[in-house]
Amino acid sequence: MNETVLEIRSVSHFFRKGLTKNCVLHDVNLKVKEGQFVGLVGPSGCGKSVLFRGIVGTHPPKEGEILIFSGQENEVAQKKTKPDRNVGIVYQRYSLFPFLTAVENVAIGLMLDQTSIPSRLFRPLGWRKLRKRHLQEATAMLEKVKLKDHLYKYPAEMSGGMCQRVAIAQAIILKPRILLLDEPFGALDEATRTELQDMLLTLYAENVKAKQKNERPPYTVLMVTHELTEAIRVGDRVVGLSPFWNWKRDFQEFPGSTVVYDKPAPVFLPKQPVDFQAIEEQKDEITRATFDPNYTKNHEEFIHLWDKVSKG
Amino acid sequence: MIGKPLSPSVFFFVMVLSFSVLLGGYTYLAREQHKINPLDKTIPTWSQLGQGVVKIVVLDHRSGKRWIVEDSAESGKRLFLGFFWGILGAILIGLLIGCFQLLEAAFAPPLAILAKLPPTAALALFFVMLGTGTGMYVGIIVVGLLPALAQSIYLSIKAIPTELINKALTLGASRTELVWNIIIRYIFPNILDSIRLQIGPALVYLIAAEYACAQIGFGYRIRLQARLVNMDVVYPYLALLILFGFFMDWLLKKAQAKWCAWYVKKEN
Repeated sequence: MNETVLEIRSVSHFFRKGLTKNCVLHDVNLKVKEGQFVGLVGPSGCGKSVLFRGIVGTHPPKEGEILIFSGQENEVAQKKTKPDRNVGIVYQRYSLFPFLTAVENVAIGLMLDQTSIPSRLFRPLGWRKLRKRHLQEATAMLEKVKLKDHLYKYPAEMSGGMCQRVAIAQAIILKPRILLLDEPFGALDEATRTELQDMLLTLYAENVKAKQKNERPPYTVLMVTHELTEAIRVGDRVVGLSPFWNWKRDFQEFPGSTVVYDKPAPVFLPKQPVDFQAIEEQKDEITRATFDPNYTKNHEEFIHLWDKVSKG
Repeated sequence: MIGKPLSPSVFFFVMVLSFSVLLGGYTYLAREQHKINPLDKTIPTWSQLGQGVVKIVVLDHRSGKRWIVEDSAESGKRLFLGFFWGILGAILIGLLIGCFQLLEAAFAPPLAILAKLPPTAALALFFVMLGTGTGMYVGIIVVGLLPALAQSIYLSIKAIPTELINKALTLGASRTELVWNIIIRYIFPNILDSIRLQIGPALVYLIAAEYACAQIGFGYRIRLQARLVNMDVVYPYLALLILFGFFMDWLLKKAQAKWCAWYVKKEN
């Protein structure tokens, strides 16, 4: 069984403006395994969003490849060149369709994924039955994210936190291979943010339970965030992307940001007391490795060799 | 927008006051004019206006028909057909150029040029190309409505956040579903708003064309009666046009409230 969900192989990306070449990413390599919650951090403008768009498939990288694995034995991985249902996304804003209620927003994925316009038009009875089932599933999913009393509200009638809960429910109902979160709680207040982090930890707890039963963990998450505490608290692994690395050793001009930090993070479960000291220690380390422009020495000390770990 | 919002009762009172000032001002003007010339028809008194209304609704002794009925039927038909084809064409073209880059490159520039053409200035062209039948009136409304409405739809599509489009694709939407289930639903309230804004211009194009070439219809009747300085007939016709415009606007607002509750709630 292939446990890798996402593999980023030697990805480099640049933009051209006239004769100027603006390098953004350089030789980024990353493997995300099934069930991992990865926090991707880095200073502003380091290319987190470019990498995010590459994984979504809207802006494939100029060099290298991004592969999504379906998890079957001996499979040929799918190269990401366009958005599809294997990668679920939750943005900071505009995550919900404003013309649909909460329950319809969650059910729309099931409709788009399982039916087509002709099937809905020409088999109305079958569609009605299926629609009822979709709405029931969506209701159950909203109950899971504690929104059962807000099923028929439009996004404009809900708070930012509620909207993000619906957006997460909307994305995970389709069971995508990987869920991408782009600064999902960036626009929320501290209390709501913690509440939603707890909600993500509930999903992580489901992964833990599944692993204990020797089942496949249902959720794999890559969260782009500028909040280090969030990345450490929610993620079980933190990856740092940074333009501050020792590129001058081999290049004359800046070739782009690369992965300078990749280490496990302490695992917390919902409502479990947070080990603030562990978080602070890792925050210091990440800040030094990823955000400090003066620290341009060898970053290998901050990179965990995941292949060696998985091979034991 | 600036300051505290008015309470509904104050708003209503101010509205009634403004209408009262308008009607009071007219009454005063008509009375003063009739003191100078008791036979004046340019600013008819309320009783003269009443006689004008009677003239419009009773059987005309020459044609044997009621003006209001035959003019409304003819102008209504022209306006309906013009609206129908104009809106249909605009939705189709707006959607195509908004959703598909190749069609955008092909049609958006000529559409932008066409939108600058005042149809009333090209009346002679319509006359030569489409004759003087219903087609000419429908044509002028379509050419007047379509470019502006199609551009408005095109711009609404361009304003849809890319995140929503990506989101739909990651939920498994095909291209057709993206247009049908996401884009059309998202821009539908904007389409209704744009149509509301086109009611006035559509009436202008129709009345201008009827004014110039018709043998029947609102524009024709207004021109004929204005020449005879029968303002007691002209004013009720103008009032009818205003009422018609209000009715259409109300209908579209009702449609928006029924089919786009999310938009109305957001706006409120």
